[in-house]
Amino acid sequence: MVDDAPYMIKALRDLLEAYGHEVYEASNGKEAMVRYAEVRPDVVLMDLLMPTLDGVSATKRIMEQDSKANIIVITAVGKSGLEKDCLAAGAKKFIVKPFKTKELLNSIESLART
Amino acid sequence: MKEIESFIGYQEDIIEAIPSTILVVNRSQEVLYANRNYYIRSGKRERDVVGEKLSRAFPQLLMEKTNIEEKIRDVFLTGIPFDGDQLRYPDGMFYFYRIYPLKGSDADAKSAVIFMDDVTKLTRLEEELKDSYIKLENAFEELKENDELKSEFISTASHELRTPLTVVSSYTEMFEEELLGELTDMQKEKIQIIHAQIDQMIRLVEDMLDALRLESKKSKIQKSFVKIDDIAANVIADLSRLAGLKEHTISLQVNGKIPEVMGDERRIKQVFNNLLTNAIRYTDPRGHIAVEIEDEFQQVRVSIEDNGLGISKKDQKRIFDKFFAGGGGTLTRESGRMGLGLAIAKGIVEAHQGRIWVESELGKGSTFFFTLPKYD
Repeated sequence: MVDDAPYMIKALRDLLEAYGHEVYEASNGKEAMVRYAEVRPDVVLMDLLMPTLDGVSATKRIMEQDSKANIIVITAVGKSGLEKDCLAAGAKKFIVKPFKTKELLNSIESLART
Repeated sequence: MKEIESFIGYQEDIIEAIPSTILVVNRSQEVLYANRNYYIRSGKRERDVVGEKLSRAFPQLLMEKTNIEEKIRDVFLTGIPFDGDQLRYPDGMFYFYRIYPLKGSDADAKSAVIFMDDVTKLTRLEEELKDSYIKLENAFEELKENDELKSEFISTASHELRTPLTVVSSYTEMFEEELLGELTDMQKEKIQIIHAQIDQMIRLVEDMLDALRLESKKSKIQKSFVKIDDIAANVIADLSRLAGLKEHTISLQVNGKIPEVMGDERRIKQVFNNLLTNAIRYTDPRGHIAVEIEDEFQQVRVSIEDNGLGISKKDQKRIFDKFFAGGGGTLTRESGRMGLGLAIAKGIVEAHQGRIWVESELGKGSTFFFTLPKYD
């Protein structure tokens, strides 16, 4: 989980742990790259607007590290064109806040299985 | 005719009746004649002026500013009149002056006539007009800037609200799923209320962004072939519970076979939804709402008629403006409404190159119409 909003991380940690997932945190793109190398998670949930390194760049860097990485972009910015940029950078899914928890869980589980 | 003959003697009177200041000069730029208006305005006497150089007749400043001697020379040289220019007097008066060659029996002009007209009032008006125009332009710019600032504020606020809304709605869903422990029936009921209210907040945030997006014209609508009558039937079915609460009946009449049109299904659904929600909202219980769809030459026309409160003529003009939620006691402002529904509907219809309008009478009901062109 990469997000600079602490309560967002906490809420998603509570949700995902309740469904038996293990959650690792990073609060910006740079930290996410380091954590990804250490943990190699099945799925990355990536926020877009973050200090140090933004989500699109972080997605690109992680994909360079591991071309099989499963990255889901979660963003508050619903701008058109942004989704295309994220998918081009290698993200598998693009989810706009606010979302239904079911929608997120389904996306995570279908990607984790691959 | 005697009348004509007797008139000839009055030529001088006619000249004196002309409201201009008139001076006649010869090629050496000596004054041959000045009319009465000249003497009145300059305060000079005939013997000070006639036979003297033009520079004695006009103040030095005027001579320099207008370069009149050179202009007169040109008129004599070319025989072409000087068509005029404006001159500002130090006392704030404005004059318009022209120079014409006077041709006698010879081809070459022996003298030239200078006309000067007081255009002070006209010039002042012109300046005021220019001033007002500039002020108007500035005010317009300011308004535009304000509007842009407002839009930016709404956009930022809506985006900033998304993360906290996600956190709250996620926890609400976790409570409902009992992921955070078992709930009593009473707690479940309250969580459902919280959930419904958060959904309402999310809709409001989406509405705000929609209104801005549709306004910016940058929004792209995703067109495909859509069946308007099917969309109408779906929305009516979706809203049946809400209509049932007030015991309204909603009817759908489709006149003839409606061809598919190119449009954005999700957006057109939103137009029906917004118009029908308003009709339900602003009609007293046990009302009737009639939806009619008609195939017209190059477009499909939809009308949504209710027998509700109606809209005053004054409000009809502004009802499609964003954040207009009615006033003057006609539509009472209800909580949870931001006056965006009709603005969004208008934005969507216009993005499809359609038209939207209302016909209404206070106390009798309203009919909203919109059209969607059949072809791209």
